Amino acid sequence: MKVSFSIIALVSIGFTLLSVVVATSIGSVDVPFSQVFNSVFVCSNDIGASKSHCGVDAVYQKIVWEIRLPRILMALLTGIGLSITGAILQSVTRNPLADPYLFGISAGSALGAVVVISTISGAMISITFGALAGGALSVILMLTLAGRSAVQVERLLLSGVAVSFMLSAFTSLIVYYSDPETASTLLFWMMGSFSNSEWGDLPLPLIAIIVGLLLFVVFRRWIGAIQAGDEGAFTLGIPVSQLRLAMLVLCSIITAVLVAQVGGIGFVGLMIPHICRFIVGSQLHKVLFMCVTLGGSFMVWVDVIAHTILESQVLPVGIVTSAIGSLFFFVILKTRSRTQSF
Amino acid sequence: MSQHPLHLPADSNQLDVTDSIFIADQISWQVDELRILDSLSFEVKRNEFLGFIGPNGAGKSSLLRCLFGKNSISTGSLSFNQRAINQYSRRELAQQIAVLIQEPPTQFEMSVFDVVAMGLIPNRPLFSFSTQEDKQTITHALEKVELLNKAQNAFNTLSGGEKQRVMVARAIVQDPKVLILDEPTNHLDIQHQIDVLQLAKEMNITVLLSIHDLNMAAAFCDRLILMKEGRIITSGEPDSVLTRDNLEYVFSIRAQVDSHPFHSGKRITYDFSPDTQIKKSIISPKDISELGAEK
Repeated sequence: MKVSFSIIALVSIGFTLLSVVVATSIGSVDVPFSQVFNSVFVCSNDIGASKSHCGVDAVYQKIVWEIRLPRILMALLTGIGLSITGAILQSVTRNPLADPYLFGISAGSALGAVVVISTISGAMISITFGALAGGALSVILMLTLAGRSAVQVERLLLSGVAVSFMLSAFTSLIVYYSDPETASTLLFWMMGSFSNSEWGDLPLPLIAIIVGLLLFVVFRRWIGAIQAGDEGAFTLGIPVSQLRLAMLVLCSIITAVLVAQVGGIGFVGLMIPHICRFIVGSQLHKVLFMCVTLGGSFMVWVDVIAHTILESQVLPVGIVTSAIGSLFFFVILKTRSRTQSF
Repeated sequence: MSQHPLHLPADSNQLDVTDSIFIADQISWQVDELRILDSLSFEVKRNEFLGFIGPNGAGKSSLLRCLFGKNSISTGSLSFNQRAINQYSRRELAQQIAVLIQEPPTQFEMSVFDVVAMGLIPNRPLFSFSTQEDKQTITHALEKVELLNKAQNAFNTLSGGEKQRVMVARAIVQDPKVLILDEPTNHLDIQHQIDVLQLAKEMNITVLLSIHDLNMAAAFCDRLILMKEGRIITSGEPDSVLTRDNLEYVFSIRAQVDSHPFHSGKRITYDFSPDTQIKKSIISPKDISELGAEK
């Protein structure tokens, strides 16, 4: 615990960069590290050149830039986005189990996206729109259900869980009534995948995450005070329920944008913030920083596992995160009960 | 003594206007149909140490919550520094009034330092970096409550008394004109009770607190307001409020009130023996009028 935050920060940044490079080299075709490094950092301007001057094979160049990097960066962004929303939701609700799933945000976004995919088209822009609408629907439903008691965290959480189940039921219903081909597309989509990611898909999640992070950092002290208790935060002059609502909406937007791109990926938003707090304590700006580096690189590795664990087949990412997540919690629970540090 | 700005006297120009920092005129507070506070009128003098006493459910906490703006009064008028309390923004109130409440424990480990640092929130812009000066303010406050050695400990691992002292340190950092404490001595051993009240007193600002220990109230408070069932029964200096008859009426308990051997105030001794316990349905002026109404 005596290691200073700046060292942890530097190490975690290094680890993230390393993760991206290693992940880029691993796949059905193994690209040597040196080629990846040269391709990414030395001759990134030479995309499309048949044989670049810095000695990167054109095939490798194509694999790295057109197939792997967009996928890996999307994984990175997804990990970052889900982790920071999880951290914020846990803080503003003071509930260690809070994440976009618990609040029904993910379920709402998934429903919106599934409706769009099964009825209109698979174009990314309309899926994103559907996911945003679904996310908005879930937040509105949750607030309506909680009614006047929306100022109480417990009521908010319970109505979030209720909304989550209700919207998931609708999603399942749609899948059930779809023709087999659409159903399998939907199912695969719902379990999460980065495989279809292209460069053009990256800007929207990137913007959402950057705006979100900026606002989270600006409001970090207020959020920290809410984390300590609503009434105490009130006495410090903080508009508690308005801030919580604003954060909820912001988290919904980030989640919806991500769900639209990559489908449903659970456990990351729940698990990563806890690991981060375990490493750097509970100061929000530190937790957020670690969520960016650790959450991002975790997702990159999950994607690597999903691609390599089975020969010639890509596993849905959601399955990998859930498997790792449950295992992780089991380990944490075991060590916690021994050291009693909770 | 530390050099903290708190130890300077309150704004002298405000002192010229009036002596009262709070003026409550016929204030009531109700939840739906239930009237919790019923037509209370009182004033709070600047820099006095004012205690609210009375049985559980008398409305002490509800009243304190009105005073820091958490409960908005249903009827009547409540002014703070000659301005209606509902005309202040939440932040403006937080800059002048610090509140010690007992928060339920949180699942997230926060360091003592971070908890105290929250006291800076009302007086800092939303986005700012913590400065060396901020750090010094927090260190001074922790020094004052003798917890500097535990600055990096997790708040959750502290004892009840230490937690309460941390909250006092946070209030010191907040640099308020008024300190409101809701039953600050609950669950504390006698030494910590005295510590907390002493620290509050040493802040030399207006202190409002609800308190159950009548002997503590007698020893520390300049003035007491005695409440029962949402009404003020009487108020005044401890000597005039803590009388045998008042205690019998409000708490339904027989007590002996005499001079305290160690200080100039009163000492209250309770009679626990079962045969002398007063029936709850003690006849009071109010009860008599209700009896009359039934017939």
